[in-house]
Amino acid sequence: MAVMGLPFLDCFLNSKGQAQTGGRPLPTRFGTFFWGCGLTHSLWIPKKAGTDWEMTTQLKPLEPFRKKLNAFSGLRVPLDSKPNGQHWSGLAAASTGIAPARSGEFESKTIDQQVAEVIGKGVRFRSVAASASGDPKQSYSSLGGSNALPAEATPLSLYLRLFGAGFQDPTKGDWKPDPRILLQKSVLSAVAEDRHRVMQNLGAADRARMDQYFTSVRQTELQMEAELQRPTIEAKVAIPEAPSKDILVNNAWPNLEVVTPLMARLGAIALATDQTRVFNLSVSSPQNQMFKPGDPLGFHQSTHEEGVDPKLGYQVRVAQYNLESMQLFAALLKELDAIQEGDGTLLDHSVVMAFTDQSYARIHSVDGLPVLTAGGASGRLKTGYHVAGDNSPVSRVGLTLQKALGVSVDSWGKDSLQVRTPYTDLLA
Amino acid sequence: MALSVMLGIFGGTVAVDALAADSQVVNLRRLTEKEYRNSIADIFGKEIEVRGTFEPTKRTNGLAAVSTSFLSVTPVGFESFSKMASDIAAQVTAESYRAKLPCAPKNLKAHDEACSSKILAHYGLLLFRRPLSGAELDNRVGLARRITEQSGDFYAGLRSSLSMLLQLPDFLFRSEVAVPAGDGKQLTLDSYSRATLLSFLLWNTTPDLELLRAAQSGEMNTPAGLTKQVDRLMASPRLVAGMRAFFEDMLQLDTFDTVSKDSLLYPKWGSGMAESAREETLRTVTGLALQDNGDIRDLMTTRQTYLDRKLAVLYRVPFAFTGDWVKYEFPADSGRSGILTQISMLSMFSHPGRTSPTKRGVALADIFLCLPTPDPPNDVDFAEVNDSNSRLKTLRQRLMAHANNKVCAACHDRSDPLGLSLEAFDTIGGYRTMDNGEPIDASATIQGRSFIGAQGLGQYLHDSPRYPACVARRLHSYGRSGRRWASEDFADTYKAFQDSGFRLRALLRGMAVSESFYSSAPPAEAEKKVALK
Repeated sequence: MAVMGLPFLDCFLNSKGQAQTGGRPLPTRFGTFFWGCGLTHSLWIPKKAGTDWEMTTQLKPLEPFRKKLNAFSGLRVPLDSKPNGQHWSGLAAASTGIAPARSGEFESKTIDQQVAEVIGKGVRFRSVAASASGDPKQSYSSLGGSNALPAEATPLSLYLRLFGAGFQDPTKGDWKPDPRILLQKSVLSAVAEDRHRVMQNLGAADRARMDQYFTSVRQTELQMEAELQRPTIEAKVAIPEAPSKDILVNNAWPNLEVVTPLMARLGAIALATDQTRVFNLSVSSPQNQMFKPGDPLGFHQSTHEEGVDPKLGYQVRVAQYNLESMQLFAALLKELDAIQEGDGTLLDHSVVMAFTDQSYARIHSVDGLPVLTAGGASGRLKTGYHVAGDNSPVSRVGLTLQKALGVSVDSWGKDSLQVRTPYTDLLA
Repeated sequence: MALSVMLGIFGGTVAVDALAADSQVVNLRRLTEKEYRNSIADIFGKEIEVRGTFEPTKRTNGLAAVSTSFLSVTPVGFESFSKMASDIAAQVTAESYRAKLPCAPKNLKAHDEACSSKILAHYGLLLFRRPLSGAELDNRVGLARRITEQSGDFYAGLRSSLSMLLQLPDFLFRSEVAVPAGDGKQLTLDSYSRATLLSFLLWNTTPDLELLRAAQSGEMNTPAGLTKQVDRLMASPRLVAGMRAFFEDMLQLDTFDTVSKDSLLYPKWGSGMAESAREETLRTVTGLALQDNGDIRDLMTTRQTYLDRKLAVLYRVPFAFTGDWVKYEFPADSGRSGILTQISMLSMFSHPGRTSPTKRGVALADIFLCLPTPDPPNDVDFAEVNDSNSRLKTLRQRLMAHANNKVCAACHDRSDPLGLSLEAFDTIGGYRTMDNGEPIDASATIQGRSFIGAQGLGQYLHDSPRYPACVARRLHSYGRSGRRWASEDFADTYKAFQDSGFRLRALLRGMAVSESFYSSAPPAEAEKKVALK
């Protein structure tokens, strides 16, 4: 799978150095990266705030992207009267701004879906999710309620969804719309016309489910409309050949280490070729089951069973798993940053929010939840900062990112997580 | 034989344009992957391939089946359904398949109203598990006509309409429609809903033509007609497929989808082990409960099992037979006891490289005793329990420290003994006598009853009245899923189960012929889970 970064042709740049594609600026993309069980306080939080922060042990894998990164420490996750759902409340608060009443459910669309509504129109996929540990349920992207948008669970299934049936290679000269799509579209319109009939004689809950069904029909119709248009792209990327067979995908570190960059690369190419503008990658469930061969416990179990080293003051094996989680995040950023487009890289024209479920997994605490972002949102988000301990609710990060992405929103979140003020210093 | 081959015996439409005014949909169950695949195979034949992915389910109250009543179809899920539908419709209208369709058009390049109607009415009935209304059929035939006129290809038109049928909620969801019962007070399922419910419960597939005929004739709503169909379905070997689906769900065998084992510590665990282990358990359960018509309690104690070559290696049993699977009986001194000590149950509820008595105990209590365990408190200090440097040397001693803390003890007193009695089996189900240089102590005490090892645990569960009651309860909720029963009266059915010596067939039959199984309360909106805000 080769990705070629070819020299950019200056004649396509306007006077401000922004890429222009027939007068249209490059789209800004959004992504999330989820890993379970958090980081170790004493090893990840820099002592200094601002831009002059010192590199820490657990952020070290992200060193190459330091200038494109923001790190948020000391964020609060006030749950009000809601229960602290283990391995759930923290991630739901970070991705919806709402403390959930029940574990396993989101009380609103997750941030990637809220953003996708604004930036994701007119492209094939409103969003794409992938699980590097091979479980379609490991998706933290949802339209609300119990339904999560299932993740592609192997590199092959991710490949086929993105570049299989329905894909027309926009990097090739002979692009033409597939006539079969028109046929499929008329079928979908006919299905959509059955809405009135289907909605009859249903109770309220089932009406809501059928409402969701017809929303899904509509989104597939929009996808087909998009497939009839040739995407305009700037990046010089080649679509990789289809993998001939799938590889083993599970929670074992040696597999994660291989699969994560593969999926990241496929996602990056999909973003660069404007197949989607929102890509969500998870590397674990909240109860992170990652394990190193030879370690009988693995990540999650270690957070509860490994003793705190009396001299070092932290759990040694857990710290190693934390570090490896950051290596996987770095693998995603590397792929995004490797693709040149316009005046920078794909990462420069994106924002990725990396989030987790616990700040201290050993005791399931959520206050101090680590959140990292990468990418400058096409110049609308300043980067390179460590935003330290200002006691803001975690939702302030989400609000800031939405502002940077052009989502029209005055406040975000509910109850004590409701915020009205973004990090204005970060907004350009 | 594919249902379509039997075309002509039953077909046509019933001229109802909408549900009767006093009827209502009381349950909508999204088809599971197996239900979808089995339906397609039965309707179109096994040569039609189903290529695509299905949205996951979500285990609720012990069963994934329950979630099919509250999950919807997300855009990602629909995209996949939509692709599968056009793919299946393309296969069914391909030249190689056309001879199997109910009729052929007079002219390949033109619309043929009669033939198009005949084909769509036929597949409409099979896919929707009820006849299409006149208006519905007109609409589907109209789409076929439009596309044929545009493309000059009869089969392109037909393909579009078949694809449409395959994407509508009427196929993707099993709908249960209730009408007022004889007494006028309660609601009861209508005849097509009964046929569908029975078929999926007993065969895990779409109703066959005989069931649909019985539904059309009204027999499904008479005690004699219903009993006749139940007995017919139960006498069929296809009952095994139905009960495999139930036990796969009840025993949580889908857990294997996300279980990984440490290849360094357990190099014997290779690819395909999970599938073999799942198969062993399903063969054991259906073999004992259906083929041998045995006492369901013996699943906790039997030493009979079924092995393939891979499992024989893990069990350290010489596999000196021909064929893929053989029936095998573990020796009395093997320490094995029923499905409790099969590789599936032992390895699913363990860590990648180590056993977890708590995990095993929690799973066993949930699966076999219907006793779910709440999450531990958030801020619990695990140090004493888990610090292997502590003065408490063995895992058992450390787990037992829970007993000193009232909050912990409430759950651990139940789960840990169940799990500790299985400690003679490692994380991939291998027998052992030592762990970390210490001899295994597999003794346990629950509610004053002491026993040793898996065989002791097996006998304890075998004798516990909670266990067969739990099986009955799970089968009951598997059958009704999200539908609220008007009558919770299960006593007669349970008594028949008990009187039969806990035969699964007695339980199933008792349930399936009882009128209360088809009763419904109006859906309570407030209590039902809303899938989407």
